[in-house]
Amino acid sequence: MTTYKVTGPVAFDDHQPGEEFEAEYDDDLESRAVERGSITIVKGTRKTKKEDTPE
Amino acid sequence: MSKRVAFKDSVKVDLVDLSNFARSVRFNSAQERIDVSGFNATGSNEYLAGTTEQTVTIEFYGSYGTGEVHQTLYPLHKNRTTCVIHWRPDGTTPIGPANPELTGVCQILTYGPGATRGDADTYEVEFSAADPAGLSFVTA
Repeated sequence: MTTYKVTGPVAFDDHQPGEEFEAEYDDDLESRAVERGSITIVKGTRKTKKEDTPE
Repeated sequence: MSKRVAFKDSVKVDLVDLSNFARSVRFNSAQERIDVSGFNATGSNEYLAGTTEQTVTIEFYGSYGTGEVHQTLYPLHKNRTTCVIHWRPDGTTPIGPANPELTGVCQILTYGPGATRGDADTYEVEFSAADPAGLSFVTA
């Protein structure tokens, strides 16, 4: 499980702004949420796509 | 089942709660009508249901801040990404038979924000069902 914090101005996955929570999201969903600023990772490592994966 | 005025609807796109940025939701599920009529004494037509086309159209207020409407929706459209959407009539009470939640995997095939001088910045976004499960109402 990864610990996240809601950093965006609106709730994310039923967690309110500023709230920390544990969850397990798939790589793409986590990446989108972090990049748009909805959440940050408090504890755990960010899942990233392999750089050498051809498009 | 009582009548209601829409006040407390819950709208989530890609797990982001966009309820306060949405002001209307319209679900449409249409099955193609296939004519399978044969010769008959009355001349009546006979139909079977064909493929199902499902969309949810949501009218959003244009908002361009971090984690708001545009930053949530545009990357989904631009990158041809599918996401899960949720809508239920009352976001303050749990999902149940009297408060069913529409959910499914969707994609945004067209995206067209805009603005008119002096008017509230709003635009409609159509979410099209994007997997074989389609969009459906769940009660638990």
